Amino acid sequence: MEEVSDMRAEDRRMRFDRVRHGLRVLFRNPLAAVGTILVVTQVLIALVAPMLLPHGPNDMDYTSVLSGPSFRHPFGTDELGRDILSRLVAGAQLSLSVGVASVVLAALVGVPLGLVAGYAGGILDEVFMRILDSIIALPPLVLALTIAAVLGTGLVNTTIAIALVSAPAFARLVRGQVLSLKHNDYVMAAYSMGAPVRVILFRHILPNAINPVIVQASLAIGFSVITESSLSFIGLGAQPPQSTWGSMVQVGFQYLELQPSFALAPATAIFLAVLGFIMLGEGLRQILDPMARSRG
Amino acid sequence: MLFILKRVLAAIPVIIMTSVIIFLLMRLLPGDPIMMIAGEAQSDTSPEVIAQLRQQYGLDRPLYVQYVAWVERALSGDFGYSVYNRQPVLDVVLPRILPTLQIGLMAWVLAVLISVPLGAYSAVRLNSWTDWVGTVFSMIGAAMPYFLAGGLLIYLVALRWGLLPASGYVSPFTDPLESLRTTILPALTLTFALTAVLTRQSRSSFAEVLNYPYIRTARAKGLSERGVVVKHAFRNAMLPIATILGLQLGTMFSGAVVTETVFAIPGMGRLLVNAILSRDYAVVQAVVLFITMAVVFANLLVDLAYGLLDPRTRQG
Repeated sequence: MEEVSDMRAEDRRMRFDRVRHGLRVLFRNPLAAVGTILVVTQVLIALVAPMLLPHGPNDMDYTSVLSGPSFRHPFGTDELGRDILSRLVAGAQLSLSVGVASVVLAALVGVPLGLVAGYAGGILDEVFMRILDSIIALPPLVLALTIAAVLGTGLVNTTIAIALVSAPAFARLVRGQVLSLKHNDYVMAAYSMGAPVRVILFRHILPNAINPVIVQASLAIGFSVITESSLSFIGLGAQPPQSTWGSMVQVGFQYLELQPSFALAPATAIFLAVLGFIMLGEGLRQILDPMARSRG
Repeated sequence: MLFILKRVLAAIPVIIMTSVIIFLLMRLLPGDPIMMIAGEAQSDTSPEVIAQLRQQYGLDRPLYVQYVAWVERALSGDFGYSVYNRQPVLDVVLPRILPTLQIGLMAWVLAVLISVPLGAYSAVRLNSWTDWVGTVFSMIGAAMPYFLAGGLLIYLVALRWGLLPASGYVSPFTDPLESLRTTILPALTLTFALTAVLTRQSRSSFAEVLNYPYIRTARAKGLSERGVVVKHAFRNAMLPIATILGLQLGTMFSGAVVTETVFAIPGMGRLLVNAILSRDYAVVQAVVLFITMAVVFANLLVDLAYGLLDPRTRQG
């Protein structure tokens, strides 16, 4: 009995060591360090801050409409007298959820497609790549706009639209990885032992192809957050009463002269969020591929 | 010559595929086009009339027949009728091209002037603090939403300091000076994102070229580092940068969508947004098609220019 708990403790310690080692590597790269701090801060703010703030995101105060920054309202109030800081924090949850959800969806669509195309090769791969080339030829925001118009407004549809736009990059990336991995000895060995394609792809190839996917995912979350906010800014994303950072900027722009922080505070929040994910992605790329930086 | 023919032929499947994607996307748009036409006239149109209209517009025929008919009409310049503007689509779209092109071109030139020297400088001093500043700078550019860059510029330059107009557009043919004044801020807004990508590309492109043996030879001859970079590395490093410049036309149009909304510029981007919001799908289709074709042709041109500049790429 005691032995079992000893083993569990040992196991826990090993896992803890591994996490600590990972963090040390992460923080040795300045980009990854700043990126991680930015990302973790956002997530913490989105999760914890709503409980700490004195004003609810929808509490209206008609006595102070469009007031500038003050002690009571650090970023001032909006056109209905709602506290902009509280709304920023509430919007963080939505904006980040859309960003993460659309990338997860994009990876779930793109990664298997890339695996299959790269492994199958031949005419299937050829056709598949031509289709991807054509989708990539369309400017991303224009494509996202059009898909959002097809699906209709609202955050779920926005998420799907962004996922569809982001998926080709994942497919292309994974396909390239598969092409360079599939003739490796260990893949050949698995094949000759009669392993089914599914096992070869997901057990043997995917784990070795995953590093660039993680890098791409981090960069893609940045792209998603910026695209969602652009769609909401244009009026095609979040619809009232839902409010993301992008829709706050949209309304805030009408009062830019009177109350600049109404639009500029959420716009800055978007910027910092995206910057965090881009820095994290770049940092991870440099860590996972140490030659990348000197090669440029 | 064979090389040019090959590249042009290779672009054709992409053009066909993108047009099919656009055609299918438009078919998926909510609302039956017939109901929209009929709805214009009367809300309680009888099924017979709808069927007749359907036949008249060829909507009862198989999809591929409709696609071919659509392409034929588009090639002869007939993009349909804008329900919202009550004008042929072509008349709605054409005047919108100039503002987008003008602002895009200004941003493009600015971005090249900033990022090529910055990238070259970073490449000469890899991993120095100036290199890191360049890296961080290009990341800031990539993360900067157009409405933040635009909002800051409008607030500071236009509203606080009153130096330039906050919105609107004047054609260079009516008043060149005023036209420049109305386009500086939107062009600067677009420049951020372009600079981000271009600086990165310039840096890696110069870094690669500077490792070539012929650069070592130039250095061994005793040329100054400046001479090596400007005279010798520049030409070869510019090739991949030119490719990225072509690809960036897509970024430019994406940027135009938001930037033109921020600055109330009557260009292609704002037209697309307004057409989507007012469900004017004939216009949406035409604008998306135009943008896509512009991007495909720009890439083809870059490809061809590449071959002319660098004989090595003509094979394959």
